[in-house]
Amino acid sequence: MNTCETIETAEAVELETVTVQNENIVDLPLGLLGFEQIKRYALLQNKHESPFRWLQVIDQPDLAFLVLPALEVFPEYEPDVPAEDVKFLGLNSPDDALVFNIVTLAAKGAGTVNLKGPIVINRFTLKGKQVVLANASRYSIQHPLPLSRK
Amino acid sequence: MLILSRKTNESIVIDGRITVKIVRVEGDVVKLGVEAPPDVPVHRQEVYDEIQRNNKQALTQGRPVLPRLPESKPKKNFKGQQVAGTTA
Repeated sequence: MNTCETIETAEAVELETVTVQNENIVDLPLGLLGFEQIKRYALLQNKHESPFRWLQVIDQPDLAFLVLPALEVFPEYEPDVPAEDVKFLGLNSPDDALVFNIVTLAAKGAGTVNLKGPIVINRFTLKGKQVVLANASRYSIQHPLPLSRK
Repeated sequence: MLILSRKTNESIVIDGRITVKIVRVEGDVVKLGVEAPPDVPVHRQEVYDEIQRNNKQALTQGRPVLPRLPESKPKKNFKGQQVAGTTA
């Protein structure tokens, strides 16, 4: 991270103070792949950053994952969550689930989104898991973000 | 590495709680059945490696500038992706 980027961030985003309350703490009992030891995240959103959200590491607030509800951005996205994960998360219907996809930022406002291994969260219990979709072979782990013409 | 010979329908047990069974062998493809408790994630190695690598790349420090996306339309089914307490 260079200094220039930091300055731009401060200008581009009017950060609101977000109080982390119990109700937006997401529990990932298995962590994320490669980060198995980090299990608790604050799910944060800022209206200026919509549709992006942040999954911020509770114990290290400077660390976060940028996520996106790909279902809202890619109309053709049809994540098929394996039955054992549905059971693990206690989902009774697809509407019980929040589906967030991890975004990897690249230079100059570009980025990719992982459509293959989304984070699925039970919206009532806020228990979540990074799942490998049953139809993962249909999707890319580095799907380009759509770019705005503006 | 421990190497064991098994026939179709034979299994191995790991740590008393994970069972790996040889379901079928067809040419160079071996179908395995894995029974493990819900807190034991099981993944194909290459998928695990790919997602782990991607997660490590994605981790951000500080607050980077976000790309601007085209206006999105709300989608069927998963409407109102909103969690209590997260609204600004």
